[in-house]
Amino acid sequence: MQSAKTEDDKLQMFFDGELAPDEEAAVRRDLESSAEGIARLREWEQIRNAMKSVSSDWAAEIDSDALFARIEAEISAPALPKPAQSAPPVLHVVPGGRERRVWGAVATGFAAAAAIFLAVMAWPAEQVTPGIDMARGTEVLEVDFGANTGTIFNVEGGAGESLAVIWIDDEEVGMP
Amino acid sequence: MSASRHGLVVALSLGALLLTSGAYAQGSTLARSDREATANVPAEVLVVLAKEDEGKIDPALKKLTALRRPPFNSFRSMQILSRPKLTLTPGKDAFVSLPNGRRLKLTLLRVMPDGRYKVRAAINRPNKSDYLPLLQVVASAGDPFFVAGQSYQGGTLVVGVTVDPKKTTQ
Repeated sequence: MQSAKTEDDKLQMFFDGELAPDEEAAVRRDLESSAEGIARLREWEQIRNAMKSVSSDWAAEIDSDALFARIEAEISAPALPKPAQSAPPVLHVVPGGRERRVWGAVATGFAAAAAIFLAVMAWPAEQVTPGIDMARGTEVLEVDFGANTGTIFNVEGGAGESLAVIWIDDEEVGMP
Repeated sequence: MSASRHGLVVALSLGALLLTSGAYAQGSTLARSDREATANVPAEVLVVLAKEDEGKIDPALKKLTALRRPPFNSFRSMQILSRPKLTLTPGKDAFVSLPNGRRLKLTLLRVMPDGRYKVRAAINRPNKSDYLPLLQVVASAGDPFFVAGQSYQGGTLVVGVTVDPKKTTQ
């Protein structure tokens, strides 16, 4: 025995014309065997006719040539849309002003950085200048005694300056 | 678009100005500090034979009070063997022959921030590195540095080097 849902599905398929011919004939016979079935069959046929009528009216209203022409045009169009040539100029003026303000701020920042940089660079030079007059004496920066032993002394000069003395012991060398 | 390009040009110009200014500032600071020596500088080398034996102190050395202080104060006699004058050309070696067969090599390297000269020295036999392979000193004009200790004729050689001897800072 078929359930109500299965029977409804089969009726739906019957009215949609999706049943096999023998099944369609069997369903039709069942429906026509009772007054209720005949009424139901007529009701479904009325609905189907109404839907066909409506769809025919919609199809008549559609310009199929225009529709296909539009589809073809959209398919053949480039993937990236071209910028509109007639874009309102006001849309460019507003961001342009923003960019100008941004670049102005950047330029001001650069100028401020330059001023600070110059000030910082100039400052130590002012501090160094007095030291130049105080530079006196001699001083060892680097020494390589080689295979010998040596000592570095700082000897006070006549004016109090520190003079470097590098003392290296060695054996006496003969004249070449 | 033109406004943004104009702004970009202005910003780049300022950036270039900043970099140029920075480089100039740094260059000027370097100019006041360490810089390549470009001019020839006179120098004088004093070669003294010092002995612990009682003897004379060369009168020309009396002004060099440093030679009467340690480690030189043990010497009782000092004789000037030579006092060559030379010109230091930046980056070029200058040689002075010493009585023991070695040669003193001097090279003017740089002028330091305080105006002193950076000098490289070496004392060796020709094509050898048997005594003092390398010495780098900074010396103010007119102030000597000494290299001592070489044994020679029963005494000790004391070599004094003075860069720019006539231009003293005293």
